[in-house]
Amino acid sequence: MKILVKADAINSFAKLFGAELNLDERFVVKRANRYFLLNRELKKLAKACEKWLYVETYLGKVKGGEFHPSFPLLFMIAEKAKNKITVDDKSAWLFVCGRDLFKEGILKIEGSRRKGDYTLVFNRYGECLGYGQIVKDLEKLKGGFAVKNLLDIGDFLRRERPRSSRSLKF
Amino acid sequence: MFGKDFFVGRYRRLGWEFREANPRQAIRVNFMNVRGVDVVGRLKGLGFELEEIPFIHGGYWIVRSEFSVGATVEYLLGYYSVQEAAAQVPATLFTDLKGKTVLDACAAPGGKTVQMADLMDNTGVIVALDVNKRRLEALANQLERCRVKNTVVYQLDARHVSKLRVRFDRILLDVPCSGNFATDKDWFKRRTLRDVERNARLQRQILAEAAKVLKDDGEIVYATCSLEPEENELNIDWAVRNLGLETVEIDCYGEEAPTEVFGIKLDDSVRNCRRIWPGETQGFFVCKLIKRR
Repeated sequence: MKILVKADAINSFAKLFGAELNLDERFVVKRANRYFLLNRELKKLAKACEKWLYVETYLGKVKGGEFHPSFPLLFMIAEKAKNKITVDDKSAWLFVCGRDLFKEGILKIEGSRRKGDYTLVFNRYGECLGYGQIVKDLEKLKGGFAVKNLLDIGDFLRRERPRSSRSLKF
Repeated sequence: MFGKDFFVGRYRRLGWEFREANPRQAIRVNFMNVRGVDVVGRLKGLGFELEEIPFIHGGYWIVRSEFSVGATVEYLLGYYSVQEAAAQVPATLFTDLKGKTVLDACAAPGGKTVQMADLMDNTGVIVALDVNKRRLEALANQLERCRVKNTVVYQLDARHVSKLRVRFDRILLDVPCSGNFATDKDWFKRRTLRDVERNARLQRQILAEAAKVLKDDGEIVYATCSLEPEENELNIDWAVRNLGLETVEIDCYGEEAPTEVFGIKLDDSVRNCRRIWPGETQGFFVCKLIKRR
């Protein structure tokens, strides 16, 4: 079993949202290009037979030098993130359908409002729906295109068919 | 030996008069993910009309919906799974899953794996196997969506599970089977008795391997969605006589299984198995077995 030498790659990803994850490298393992977080008991089992495909918590994968986070990782980050945007119901639904966010649908902004920064996107129930990149300074923006959708939970439905890359250069 | 008349005649001899079936669409709440969330209330708010499934805690039939129940935010967040009602029964038959080492021997696409993880509240360990890599991808997606954290997945034939050198407290054998007409409109055209017998042989091999890796006093739940006794009662009778397993009385939806099949007298304990004939659910067969010290 290969131990991911730089679990800090994942910790650094969390920092993009202002979150301190501090994953313990001893429990981050790699299978092909995929990363998993596991506990002591499952680590023992995964070591006993190394041909596993999936174990405990999937964190994401690296493909073509890009890190593609998993949803469990996003949910872990969501608990500690500073950069958060809460949107109304209509925008939440459009976001889950892969659409970008407009200023008019944003109910609340926490953390960074700066162009180029990354932010998690929440619905009014406080549930993380994915993440995006702020495309214009939200402080000054009166209306229109505000956050580019980089990943949303609708991805579970789109996985079955070919899709364009929704990843973050990292 | 094939065709609708042939199989319907067999069902009649087992005590069931054929009628068309329309299994209702059903969901099951993943309690591990909905603490503080009124998922049923939210679905009703979206226009879904739900009816509690009387024999499954947290199971609901979809009475009416304005859009797909598999495309809501609540579904994508893993608050519930779409799972046919009879298929929700097997995982509920185990006693005390929490903290246990559990084998899901034919796991993909993972509906019952997620259900067991939910019943275990993500404690213990589930070892989930399947042979088909494509189906395992669907399983991995389910585990990710439903935030399952206690599972390790292997691409492995259940007939070789002893290679893992793990002994299990609980084993779910939702074995590959011939299926039934309720979920396959061409079933009577496609299936022959030879298919059924081939599947029954495979199922016996899986049962035998499972018995090897089961701890003393451990439990196996054996399930098929086949109506054919070769894959059900006859296999359980064989397991009781040859594998050191005993059936256990279960209290669940379904009818007591027959102990005489087409003139063959089976072990009396086969009556502990349950047959679910198609109707508002699909057809199913379940049995709980225990390995005595």
